[in-house]
Amino acid sequence: MIPDRIIEQGTLTTDGARSAVEVRLPWYRALPGSCIAGAKLSIDGVEAPAESLRWQMNGREFGFDELVDETGEWWFPTDSAVLVGDLPLEPGDAEHQVDVDLKLFIPYIIIGDGETLHIEEHDRKTMKAGQR
Amino acid sequence: MTDALGTPIQGVTLYSFTRAFHAREYDLEGLIRKVAAEGYGPGLEIIGFSSFRGFPAVDDAYAGWFRDLVAETGLVTTSLAVNADIGIHRDRLLTQDELIEYMTLQIKAAAKLGFPIARVQISITPDSMEALAPIAEAHGVTLALEVHADQYASHPRILALRDRYEQVGSPFLGFTMDWGATVSGFAPSLLEAYRRRGASDELLAKVVDLWNTFYEQGPPADQAEHGQRFGAFIGLAAQNGRPDLGIDFGINGTGLFGPARVDDWLEIMPWIRHVHGKFFGIDETGEEPSVPVRDLIALLVEQGYSGAISSEYEGWHWNHWESPFEIIAGEQAVQRSAAQAAGSRMITDAAEARAILDAHLAQPVRG
Repeated sequence: MIPDRIIEQGTLTTDGARSAVEVRLPWYRALPGSCIAGAKLSIDGVEAPAESLRWQMNGREFGFDELVDETGEWWFPTDSAVLVGDLPLEPGDAEHQVDVDLKLFIPYIIIGDGETLHIEEHDRKTMKAGQR
Repeated sequence: MTDALGTPIQGVTLYSFTRAFHAREYDLEGLIRKVAAEGYGPGLEIIGFSSFRGFPAVDDAYAGWFRDLVAETGLVTTSLAVNADIGIHRDRLLTQDELIEYMTLQIKAAAKLGFPIARVQISITPDSMEALAPIAEAHGVTLALEVHADQYASHPRILALRDRYEQVGSPFLGFTMDWGATVSGFAPSLLEAYRRRGASDELLAKVVDLWNTFYEQGPPADQAEHGQRFGAFIGLAAQNGRPDLGIDFGINGTGLFGPARVDDWLEIMPWIRHVHGKFFGIDETGEEPSVPVRDLIALLVEQGYSGAISSEYEGWHWNHWESPFEIIAGEQAVQRSAAQAAGSRMITDAAEARAILDAHLAQPVRG
């Protein structure tokens, strides 16, 4: 697992109301959208409302409820996805603490009775916010 | 198997270089060229879903590019590691028919890319392996199911597969031996990683003692015992003020460092078609301190194994302070030395490797 690389350094952007950061897969192999089970985005300790979060991957944008059945789009290990949500922020030289939590299903590892293994990973990095 | 000593083929899986690929230090072509230039081959193993964008879809142009690259660099494609993603849907597991279809696409991809072996995983049942046998045969791809900790050769699930293979009688069904099932110690490089995360020497000594206790007891009899051991690592971390490390101790202590003995492999030796030379580090004396590489090579040589061994460096998960490239070169030197000590040698010439691998895979089980 590679949780230290989830947040891409220097990719925090904001339009004032919504803020975004690029995220990397902390796993060695591609996973389909259906295995991306959830994420949280916090900036300076303030968490974006869950219903405001969107996931951008392969040029498309998804809500997490839309990823549930998505087996056509895959997150490749060297690609960045974008996690965006409602978080008011001013672009500028101030440093911000960014926290991302990711929950992923590992579809080939079945634990117990029909239950698929999931992993929950967290990363924290500090960076300036650019204009979105 | 014959009475002749085996001549295993040296090679590597690109999984060993996961951190470098993930960090975009090397793309697939760059990594393949580095493997060839620095002599980690000739055997080349690749994980489909790690390295090929859009896998298992492979168009003709891409397959042509890949095959040309392998030919130009003088490598020999051995195993394409494929995945049985039976949990790909959130609400249910794949049906048997869906799984066969899912695996068939990957078997076709292996054939198209020039891999004679597809490494498959434990989530495939004996029924599914039997159903896949004619598909594997039609595409000329041997299915080598990986025996990986927390399983081991004499585990009931593996013996059930072996017995089914014997009934089916297809030379296209076999196993991948993963050395992580027969580890002899808790990897020192992982202990160092925990130390760097602030774990005390006292706690780490207890972790080692717990693992050594399980080693003395031998591998877990079943999934229930495996679960108990996993829980013991979690409990140890909690009792010593580091509950945050518990799951990590459990995953690695049971899922990476399997405590079976080397001769356990004899249970399935005639069906071993591919080997993952799983290891975790090389110490200051040039040896692997926690995997009995020399004993494993001696066993394979004595048993007449002449298939490929993919060096599979797993220490990248935690070792961020050393280059994987030098560590892998060190492990392959141990393999070569051990093969010589056993009265044989590792194959490092590509043409010789191709001929030997063809003969190894054409050989019917117990032939």
